[in-house]
Amino acid sequence: MRKEVIGPFQLFAMIVLFELGTAVVVPIGLESGHAVWISILVALPGGILLFMLYTYLYRQFPDLVISGYTRKILGKWIGWPLSLLYLPVLTYNGGRNLREAGDLLISSSYDRTPIFIINSIMIIAVMYILYQGIEVFSRTSEIYFWLIVIMGMISNFVVIIAGLVQFKNLFPVHPGEWIEVYKSAYPNIWIFPYGELVCFTAVLPHFKTKNKIGRTGAGAITLSALMLSFTHAIEMSVLGPDIYSRTTFPMFTMITLVNVANFLQRLDALVILTLIIGVFFKMSIYCYAAVSITADLFHVKEPRKLVIPVCSVVLYSSFVSAENYPVHMNDGKVFLENILPFLCAVIPVLLFVVHLVRRRFGWYR
Amino acid sequence: MPKQQSQSNPGEISSSSQESPPIFTDLEDTLKQIHERLGNSPDLNVRKYETLNHENHVAVMYINGLVDKELVDEYVTHALSFEEIREEAPSAADLFIFAKEKALSIGKEKVVEDQNSVLEALLSGDTIILFDKLDKGISVTTSGGEGRSVTEATTQVNIRGPKDSFTESLGTNIALVRKRIKNPNLWIETLTMGSVTKTDVSIAHIHGLAKEETLQQIRKKLADIHVDSILESGYIEQLIEENNYSPFPTLYNTERPDSVAGNLLEGRIAIFVDGTPFVLILPATFFMFFHTVEDYYQRYDITSVIRVLRFICLLVSLFGPAIFVAALNFHQEMIPTPLLINFASQREGVPFPVVIEVLLLEVTFEIIREAGIRMPSQIGQTVSIIGGLVLGQAAVQAGIVSPAMVIVVSLTGISSFATPAFNMALSIRILRFVITFVAAYIGLYGIAIVGLILVAHLCSLRSMGVPYMSPVAPFAPGDQKDIFLRAPLHFMKTRRRLLKNDKAPGATVQNSQGSRHEK
Repeated sequence: MRKEVIGPFQLFAMIVLFELGTAVVVPIGLESGHAVWISILVALPGGILLFMLYTYLYRQFPDLVISGYTRKILGKWIGWPLSLLYLPVLTYNGGRNLREAGDLLISSSYDRTPIFIINSIMIIAVMYILYQGIEVFSRTSEIYFWLIVIMGMISNFVVIIAGLVQFKNLFPVHPGEWIEVYKSAYPNIWIFPYGELVCFTAVLPHFKTKNKIGRTGAGAITLSALMLSFTHAIEMSVLGPDIYSRTTFPMFTMITLVNVANFLQRLDALVILTLIIGVFFKMSIYCYAAVSITADLFHVKEPRKLVIPVCSVVLYSSFVSAENYPVHMNDGKVFLENILPFLCAVIPVLLFVVHLVRRRFGWYR
Repeated sequence: MPKQQSQSNPGEISSSSQESPPIFTDLEDTLKQIHERLGNSPDLNVRKYETLNHENHVAVMYINGLVDKELVDEYVTHALSFEEIREEAPSAADLFIFAKEKALSIGKEKVVEDQNSVLEALLSGDTIILFDKLDKGISVTTSGGEGRSVTEATTQVNIRGPKDSFTESLGTNIALVRKRIKNPNLWIETLTMGSVTKTDVSIAHIHGLAKEETLQQIRKKLADIHVDSILESGYIEQLIEENNYSPFPTLYNTERPDSVAGNLLEGRIAIFVDGTPFVLILPATFFMFFHTVEDYYQRYDITSVIRVLRFICLLVSLFGPAIFVAALNFHQEMIPTPLLINFASQREGVPFPVVIEVLLLEVTFEIIREAGIRMPSQIGQTVSIIGGLVLGQAAVQAGIVSPAMVIVVSLTGISSFATPAFNMALSIRILRFVITFVAAYIGLYGIAIVGLILVAHLCSLRSMGVPYMSPVAPFAPGDQKDIFLRAPLHFMKTRRRLLKNDKAPGATVQNSQGSRHEK
């Protein structure tokens, strides 16, 4: 079978969809209050830097996923168990995304459907697309990239012409708040959503134009940061910091307020669709990363065979991990502050340093 | 139509599978055997002649209806009266040479040396001349006979543009395309397929424009087909398709010569099959099925608007009833309250759930449509009036369905006719039922998920190696000017990226023809 390849625009679309994923719908960076949109932009350079770190490692080992070069750099005895750590984290985080989508759907209109049904329908779609391979996945994301952009433009436009935007909710930013802006930018927003790009270490080996990787990645991250920041600024300006921090899904609350000329109203479907699409692509990439790393660690020749088991684990973890949504959010905070930074930033930086040292002193055989 | 593998067929006449009896020196013997092998068929005509000295006998054979009568008569009367032979006692060999020379003036002649080739030639419309005391004969190409004349296209109607369409005759069809592309680079290869039917199949492409790999792939696929019959291009379509389990067609068919010509100029390849007016075009992409040739004859702005309308119709015909069912079942808040109250009061007397109502109407609609196609055209109108008006109106009054439902289903039905390609419209018709079911079960969420799976499936398809969703996915910015919208002709100067022949980048044809634009 020929090697599957993805092009620059496909990677671009995948990164944007991944970044927007759930981040566009759920509230992020609560500490910074109404300056969350600045926090997103402040975290952007860190995000790009992190992605450059992944691309550096990818350039050194263009055919390997993260677990592959971890073993190369740190040796088999340290590298293997260390990369094994990625599996539970990836599946758990994929499950979290699924849980968020399921909970939004249940709270919006499926109050009598069990979350298991909702989540398993989504996971079936993920299984299908992963079974078709990364190439098909990347082409699908190209199409949905345009769809998301168009839907985003429509919903933001509608909110603005409905006259809901109040700039007094965004400004002024007091000097004291800048510290909070930094605090929520690093490490929280830096890790979620930018640090989660560590999943792309599994996708990059399929990228065909190696020299365009930096530009593509940085462009995609910047675009998604601008979109995220803009959307959250709109959400914040419409809802105010108070409601923004209390609602589970600020974007959803915002869109229900829209009423243009008694005709354009009840656009909730747009938000739900955005979240479904976002979660679908984000979770698929999580599952794909988990599948690739498992295949690499356990020497499975046909990674496709792992799609069903891995997706089943994600499905299972999505509804057993927390009893209810507040618990889920609380878990998320702990997870985001303690576990995710270790895998998204610490291990890659460690790999980078060790690699430099080993190469400098010629300790590679 | 039973399609068996060739080896198992007893009544086979293929020359390869069994050895052929020779042509006997005794004319009567040969004639008798050929008669027998054709099952004493009455349409085999045999005329016998003799030379002036009554020494030599000659037989002329042809099959009624397959040959051009005038041509045969002319040949027979002029050549085989043997008046020009001056010799007293010509030998059979002399006659053979004489007849062969004369045959040159009629058409392609060929020497036949065994009975199988005699039969094969007879059945493809040749005239055979056999000589007494000689173990070979002559076959002259005289094929002709009755055929439908070139008429207006019936399945792909347009307002502006050429009115002719293909016929059942392969020769006529190729000529219709040649008339449009007067270029020596229009190359046509012909092969015979079907071990029993011996159908002529031609592959046409423009040398230098079509991709060589695609051509090789098609040749290989056609060579791999082993069936006993090819009665329509649909057989070939189904046999060479890569995705047998997909509801979407991955080969385009048309009965319009201008459409074939346009597609050939785009670098695609056409497959003509003798006996059918439908020509296959490949590689096909999803968006081809929503374009018509007329798009290029009308002004670009009009065309663009109409194309957008077609894609809206696609969405309506695919998701229309599903969204209605989902909104009524799960998302009542999406419908403005006054309208919702209206719907509710309409449905007050209706005993069924919404999904049953939709399915009842949809199935009725499909029945009317299917019956309308098979009916003689005079009655077809009546059926649609009875079905549409009477059934719809009566069903509402009887309280089986609600009026709003009739509107939704009929809008969907009409939208599906806006898809120019019939085979694509069929797929959409079937998928609509699936999506409606899902919507009834889980609402808009289900529609979104099915939509995702559908798009993923479309992205996974390939037609002769070309991604089905190109040039949208993979995205090619330069090729966007002829997909959802159509740019003015003077902007359309480049060829499709994925169809382009890399070795000869379209130079040959463009220079010699001076064509400024392409489709």
